[in-house]
Amino acid sequence: MSLPAILPALAAIAAPVQAEAPAPEPAIVAVDPRWFEPPAVEMETPPPVTVTHRHAEGDPLEGFNRRMFAAHEAFDKAVFRPVALAYQDVVPKPVRSGLRNFLRNLTEPIVFLNYVLQLKPGKALETAARFVFNSTLGLGGVLDVAKLPGFHLPHRSNGFGDTLGYYGVKPGPYLFLPFIGPTDLRDLIGGQADGLVLPLAVGDPFDRAEYQVPKGVIGGLDTRAEADSELNTLFSTAVDPYATLRSVYLQDRAGEIARLKGKHAAEPTSPLDTTLSDPLSDPLADPAAAPPARESTAPELSDPLADPAASSR
Amino acid sequence: MRSVPFALAAMVAMAVPAVAEAADPAVAPVQALDDGLIAIMKAGKAAGVKGRASRIAPVIDRTFDLPLMTRLAVGSAWNGIAPADQKALVAAFRRLTIAQYADNFDGWSGQSFSIDPNVQARGSDRLVRTTLKSPGEAPVAIAYRLRQDGGAWKIIDVFYKNSISQLATRRSDFASVLASGGAKALISHLDALSAKAGG
Repeated sequence: MSLPAILPALAAIAAPVQAEAPAPEPAIVAVDPRWFEPPAVEMETPPPVTVTHRHAEGDPLEGFNRRMFAAHEAFDKAVFRPVALAYQDVVPKPVRSGLRNFLRNLTEPIVFLNYVLQLKPGKALETAARFVFNSTLGLGGVLDVAKLPGFHLPHRSNGFGDTLGYYGVKPGPYLFLPFIGPTDLRDLIGGQADGLVLPLAVGDPFDRAEYQVPKGVIGGLDTRAEADSELNTLFSTAVDPYATLRSVYLQDRAGEIARLKGKHAAEPTSPLDTTLSDPLSDPLADPAAAPPARESTAPELSDPLADPAASSR
Repeated sequence: MRSVPFALAAMVAMAVPAVAEAADPAVAPVQALDDGLIAIMKAGKAAGVKGRASRIAPVIDRTFDLPLMTRLAVGSAWNGIAPADQKALVAAFRRLTIAQYADNFDGWSGQSFSIDPNVQARGSDRLVRTTLKSPGEAPVAIAYRLRQDGGAWKIIDVFYKNSISQLATRRSDFASVLASGGAKALISHLDALSAKAGG
């Protein structure tokens, strides 16, 4: 899964319209625990106990990831974002959406293949039909005619990361990588496999730099530009943008895989349904379980997947 | 007397939708929030972020259980926080919630919310599903988890795309600052975010 896939996933306050303030500066990103000295304020009670762990559960490489996140943000601010916004400014909208549709159409065979691997013939056929309509009537994929009301075959995302998750492969360690964005070991491997399908199955021109480089540059600039307002909203509402992005990414992926599995479950479930059967762990509900929370519970609190209030089972 | 069965039939026909409408008390706060959000979107930039905040604040106070949400977002560290700081945390969380709604819902271009009347019970909580529709865009699923507090149903969590919990995200978001700087550091971070959002 790529960065753009989760960017629309703003925390609850989904902004339906652009914020009026121009691109807020991410002023409060310094959240590495080591950057903080506990304030020398008088406290009637002992300081919080959630410390002691260097990383959150599900994120054993947190130190590395935070450094990569900081590097990515610096590059984004200096180069990537300005160039992406210039691309959006200079290139007319129909050209940008045509290129976007063209590149996305070339992912449909991968979507199809993964629906087949997940033994979902109906969705696989719909994807194949979508690919055929858009490749022909849609002038080689430049126009997304298949999503129009007559066809009603909108794009669905699917890939080897989803298939692995569908068959029970856990996400593994969370990763934040420059140019790739938030991912995890499973999705990173899946994404690389997705990228190999056309070069291996078709070869020329998909295995050539003349195709791969422009595809990467144009696709990257376009998705960055399209995600800009949502990314601003997500980061400007976060105390710790790194942790917020991680949480949103992991919850979103867990939700997508649960939805893929949903068809085969006894009853259609969303992750929401399953978690709601668990009572929330309201700390006030049990005063006896009071102050010194066991150390082992601390990292769970920062891991959305282990969080009873969060998704997944 | 044929008119009696007809009258009965008519009454039954009228009663059924009425019953369905009055169905679940958990719908009312979600409806109030959605109405409030549409109102500040329509008030738009003319009202200013402060104007929108002052309009949405009473709605948020009425529809959200902000103290519970704060406790849940802080997690088990809550019990180790001094009462004065606990109070300040709730106030900071409230201010931020209001400021961010006011900042984000700043204009209206045909958006509407629809609320699924099929409210689901999960344990003692209720789940109300809504859809945000914007012209020309894919609909967005937003679900609310509500809990009864003193006889009133209050929102305690918001789910985006039916899978991303605001509470879980906030817990992750707060954990590092809480762990390193404690409640006071978190309060100042929240206040800074509120100020940036114009609240």
